[in-house]
Amino acid sequence: MCGIAGIARRDPDGGELQLDTLARMAAAIRHRGPDGYGFYTSPRVGFGHVRLSIIDLAGGAQPLTNEDGQVVVTFNGEIFNYRELMRELEALGHRFRTVSDTEVLVHGWEEWGPALLDRLIGQFAFAIHDRRTESVFLARDRFGVRPLFYAQRNQTLYFGSEVKALFASGEVEPAPDPLGLDEVFTFWAVRPPRTAFAGVSQLEPGCWALWQDGTLRIQRWYQLDYSGRQDEPRDVLEQLDALMQSSVDLRMRADVPVGGYLSGGLDSSITCGLAAARSPYALRTFSVTFADPRFDESRYQREVAAALGSEHAVQPIDVGEIAAAFPDVIRHTETPLLRTAPVPMYLLAKLTRERGITVVLTGEGSDELFLGYDLFKEVAVRRFCLRQPDSRVRPRLFDRLYPYMVENQRLGDFWRQFFLTAGSADDPLFSHMPRFQLAGHIKLFYGERQRAGTAGHDALAELRSSLPAAFATWAPEHQAAYLEMTTLLSPYLLSSQGDRMGMAFGVEGRFPFLDHRLYEFAARLPVRSKLRGLEEKHVLRRWAKRVVPPNVVARHKQPYRAPDAASFFGGGGSSPGWVDDLLAPAAVAEAGYFSANAVAGLVKRCRAGQAVGVRENQTLVAILSTQMWHQTFLEARRPVAPLALDSADVVLEGAAAVPSV
Amino acid sequence: MTESEILARLRVFLQETFLYMKPDYVLSDDDSLLKKGIVDSMGVMDVLGFIGETFGVVPADDEVTEANLGTPRAIARFVAGKLRAPQKT
Repeated sequence: MCGIAGIARRDPDGGELQLDTLARMAAAIRHRGPDGYGFYTSPRVGFGHVRLSIIDLAGGAQPLTNEDGQVVVTFNGEIFNYRELMRELEALGHRFRTVSDTEVLVHGWEEWGPALLDRLIGQFAFAIHDRRTESVFLARDRFGVRPLFYAQRNQTLYFGSEVKALFASGEVEPAPDPLGLDEVFTFWAVRPPRTAFAGVSQLEPGCWALWQDGTLRIQRWYQLDYSGRQDEPRDVLEQLDALMQSSVDLRMRADVPVGGYLSGGLDSSITCGLAAARSPYALRTFSVTFADPRFDESRYQREVAAALGSEHAVQPIDVGEIAAAFPDVIRHTETPLLRTAPVPMYLLAKLTRERGITVVLTGEGSDELFLGYDLFKEVAVRRFCLRQPDSRVRPRLFDRLYPYMVENQRLGDFWRQFFLTAGSADDPLFSHMPRFQLAGHIKLFYGERQRAGTAGHDALAELRSSLPAAFATWAPEHQAAYLEMTTLLSPYLLSSQGDRMGMAFGVEGRFPFLDHRLYEFAARLPVRSKLRGLEEKHVLRRWAKRVVPPNVVARHKQPYRAPDAASFFGGGGSSPGWVDDLLAPAAVAEAGYFSANAVAGLVKRCRAGQAVGVRENQTLVAILSTQMWHQTFLEARRPVAPLALDSADVVLEGAAAVPSV
Repeated sequence: MTESEILARLRVFLQETFLYMKPDYVLSDDDSLLKKGIVDSMGVMDVLGFIGETFGVVPADDEVTEANLGTPRAIARFVAGKLRAPQKT
């Protein structure tokens, strides 16, 4: 786990690619790899690498080459089945100099080319310079666990694990992309390949890109798919057991201790339970706790930690800390947010690093694979209601779906109608229209410039036209799962709430549920195996009785949330000075994204404690984070001091780079 | 209090609470508050709070319906009706 950066020019730039440019790019993402760094230069192509040492602590420095120095790689992530691939490649005659997972990429590239990707079980983003063809191959894992951004200027390609590496080159200028921002205010995150920055793209999950002679060709190598016959096999629990055990086995491979994030819910209890059974010492587990009982799950966390015998540490979160960490969080997410939920994950990663753990397993991905979110039940209930639109009984199912909403608040028919008026059943985006419409409220606050910049743009129409051909043949719940994975899991949960928060402190997340073998198994199961009536994750619960305490199995999902507007407006409506500055009418008008008058109206309601609804809360977070994002990346850019070349672990230069074997 | 007086006060409340970011929006008395996206489920709470505090009208659970609270005119009619009828305790 690390950070990567690089440049590829069409024409040689008169000598070796400037090392100092690469050293600045690497410096910008040094937080991803505090344990070391290295560079590779050649007349056209140069790589940088910052290292978080996890596998082959002594021999895993990068960039790294094959036997004759013709294939060079810079790699961020993990290839969990590297030992098996190493044996296979050795049998084919390849000689390994290290015992790192990185080296399977260079030999695998020589042997199989892009087909190498199909053999990888892992989470990765990497670049390979093949000097024989003078090409650069970029690839990203199936679900988008690890990030990879790129930009092209004057037939030169720039890439990096984070956008700030591109800007640090001094050759890619930051500018806002109104359409990218419009996607944040629709989906919660920019949908790849777009980003919030104009002229900066992100490689889509499951895609590779080949740069040669100044042009970039992109191809999908992995597609989420729910096609084909869907039967529950008779030995479904045994198959699930084998896959879960194997997935965790592979993800425990590390030359440093592996810990776990524990939310108190079913999924992280499973991953921590399986990890504890394999850990040579007491597993270290980590949780966030909240003083506000609406967000807090500490009782369940303690129960699971006690059952596992883990060494448990908690990060208490209060609203003041959320505001205090928010500016740093935006510097890492590199995009505006609609929720503050990434902030506790940022503080949790800090605690984890302070306690000496740099690798953690989490339960991310389970809700998407096994239909755990309320949204999937909502789809089933909405379709059920729409089949008999006059029924007054059917909509009462929404009360069972969200009992906490109706228990304390008298919302009556209004509440139920909310779900029945969002989208028509024949819209491919039917499942997500309530969420998209709710987020779209933010657009009412647009200023003139943002409104003009998005004229004629329809983020929903673009999403509809991007859906795979087979989408229409899938079950509605599977369509919803696909949309959830592509619009939220990858660009938000794994990114803003995942990779970016962990890597801010050099902590690597590993996700046993996002093993593609497990995904493909779950995708082939019929919906009723996963969602039975209103019981979510049915098959997973049946199996989980083997590995977690019974009360955890029976417990239903509590959505992970953190306080939003209340984090920034304390008692009496006071807020930190930087919040006042960013939301001041002049600052809002100058940034140009939102109407100063509309924002002033919202701020007034927030100060008075009147902004209690979801819409106003996420609008406030969206506006404040956009203002902070603008200030950080477009206004107050700080020059990046390059990493010192004489302290690098490795500096490979062109053809002379062949190490002795 | 007449229905039109109730409606006038309600319109001010709706403008200040839900439409402050849309200064050009012309609210019609028959606009569906939900379908037009003027209120969401949490917004219904605000409406209920407003008619309770301002007019002393607290609807029963089965009165929280689209028919009674779906449009500004429906709300005004509902509140006026409640004010005319003796409140159940």
